[in-house]
Amino acid sequence: MTMTFQDSQNAFASALLHPDLPLPHGITTARGTADPLRFAIYRNNVHVSLTMALAQRFPVTQRLVGSDFFTGMARVYAADHKPASPLMMHYGDDFPAFIAAFPPAASVAYLADVAQIEVAWSEAYHAADGPPLEIAQLAAIAPERIADLVVIPHLSTRLVRSDFPVGSIWSAHQDETVMPVGEWRAEAVLIVRPEMQVEIRILPEGDGEFLACLLGGATLGDAAEAAFAVAADFDFGSALTGLTMLGAFSAFEPSEGEVS
Amino acid sequence: MSITADRALALPQRAGLGLKPEHYATILADRPDVGFFEVHAENYMGAGGPPHRYLEAIADLYPLSVHGVGLSIGAARPLDREHLKRLRLLVDRYRPQSFSEHLAWSTHDSGFLNDLLPLPYTAETLARVIDHVDETQQWLGRPMLLENPSTYLLFSESTIDEIDFLAAVASRTGCGLLLDVNNVMVSAVNHRLDPVSYIDRFPIERVGEIHLAGYDETIDGAGDRLLIDAHGSAVRADVVELFRHSLSRSGPLPTLIEWDNDVPDFATLHAEAIRADAMLSAAAPHGGVIRAA
Amino acid sequence: MNRSTLTLALAGSLASAIASTAFAAPLAPEKMVGNEKCYGIALKGQNDCAAGPGTTCAGTSTMDYQGNAWKAVPAGTCVSMNVNGHKGMLAPVKS
Repeated sequence: MTMTFQDSQNAFASALLHPDLPLPHGITTARGTADPLRFAIYRNNVHVSLTMALAQRFPVTQRLVGSDFFTGMARVYAADHKPASPLMMHYGDDFPAFIAAFPPAASVAYLADVAQIEVAWSEAYHAADGPPLEIAQLAAIAPERIADLVVIPHLSTRLVRSDFPVGSIWSAHQDETVMPVGEWRAEAVLIVRPEMQVEIRILPEGDGEFLACLLGGATLGDAAEAAFAVAADFDFGSALTGLTMLGAFSAFEPSEGEVS
Repeated sequence: MSITADRALALPQRAGLGLKPEHYATILADRPDVGFFEVHAENYMGAGGPPHRYLEAIADLYPLSVHGVGLSIGAARPLDREHLKRLRLLVDRYRPQSFSEHLAWSTHDSGFLNDLLPLPYTAETLARVIDHVDETQQWLGRPMLLENPSTYLLFSESTIDEIDFLAAVASRTGCGLLLDVNNVMVSAVNHRLDPVSYIDRFPIERVGEIHLAGYDETIDGAGDRLLIDAHGSAVRADVVELFRHSLSRSGPLPTLIEWDNDVPDFATLHAEAIRADAMLSAAAPHGGVIRAA
Repeated sequence: MNRSTLTLALAGSLASAIASTAFAAPLAPEKMVGNEKCYGIALKGQNDCAAGPGTTCAGTSTMDYQGNAWKAVPAGTCVSMNVNGHKGMLAPVKS
């Protein structure tokens, strides 16, 4: 019985992805015999190209643990996570979640959150373009409506909150020499690209909770109350104008419950 | 986008370069004399951001070639409709002078494998590739170029010669061919073929573009010389000579320098294009050849 | 805080914050970012060279495939990085 094209391609792919399997039937060389080393070129191309793609998307994560550890970790990830599409810019979207559950990386407790900043950076870089809300539009809102409004985030807006100073750690690795990191504390990091430059900023205490609530669909009033609860000195006006001027929002609109 | 709105469907018969993000700023500031730029389609399928902003600016200044690496035309499975839609969106937006893809496969049930994998050449695979090229051309509303692959192994079930396979796809679909001279050298060495006779047998009248790149070299399991299509160095001397021989058959053709790994500074890359341009200028125009679109 | 008190507090807070930015004329989009220097801590950014993974139509002669044998331990800057008394390798003790 001859194999169909689909069968033989499936067999080729299986052998490619599972090095413990024998070489696929029917491959050969000009010598007339199969050569495992030649087939290994293809195995190698797949694995190296995927681990290199992760190294390109997660340069700080790689520096934090060193290239040997990173490559090993990336190889384990790539073995079970193939890109969902040929758009390699999206490859590794769930690499931070993988790192968080990867026992050998447990001693670097902040590693997954740093990787999440790197995911957010490339998502913001490739996000759809659109004009951010301007401060004048904010000023035009009737005061009595403010508490009941919800935001429409800018399409590039990302927030990474961590128990660790991951924004500072990320920033310390932007030059060849690793800069000292200041205080060891939780950080909320906003990543946003209102124009052509990705902006990345550590938010004041309380503002991370505020923005997280807004991104989750809470009204400005509910988000402000949540922020007050975690930071007594939360300043609603400076948070809202600050986030607006950074380009984090596209629009405000009445919450669904409100009759306008 | 005034210039891109009414582009001719032909690249100039000059040397072009692969467009790399690290060179965006240099190209826009210095506006080097380069025949065209080529991009990988999949790198410009993000929703927005700097890649599109830069590509718009550069496509207004230079002819553009879009080269797909992820369509998986050589797959047994059907083409990905979502990917075809993305390609159509990109081609409609930038109106490149050329669109090309590979005689290879890269997508499987397990996902995108990020490598150009080989396929056997049989009546069944030929029919599948013809269907896929037809479908692509219908989706895009324009002819495409199909590139000859570089391969490291052969299939005992193959019954059709690679050149005959490509020629059959071209004649049945009306597509043009992209002659990658480095791939010819890589495959010829790896499969003990004569690269010059490969070029001599290639349906040169269908060639719309040439690719040049640098290969790496290793040895296979039997100790034989094995070339790797690495795109990480200058074009090797024997490929330059094979390119010269190709030009003697074809006359000048749009010729891309591919340098995708260990990308050098722009001046080093541009020097490769200048060398190729000199060879294109020296090539005799080849009258009477009907060129594929 | 009841809803009307909250609304009043928020409106007042916003009004004073907007007033403090009112000296600025409407900002050109490219100028808007980075203008609010006082808000948060701006971090040094990456440039376009850091665009992340692209596609390739090339192979590699780097032979790196070693199966899934796991041996390495973290050995990068997390070992040496000094974060105000903490070593970057160690998770802080939770109180």
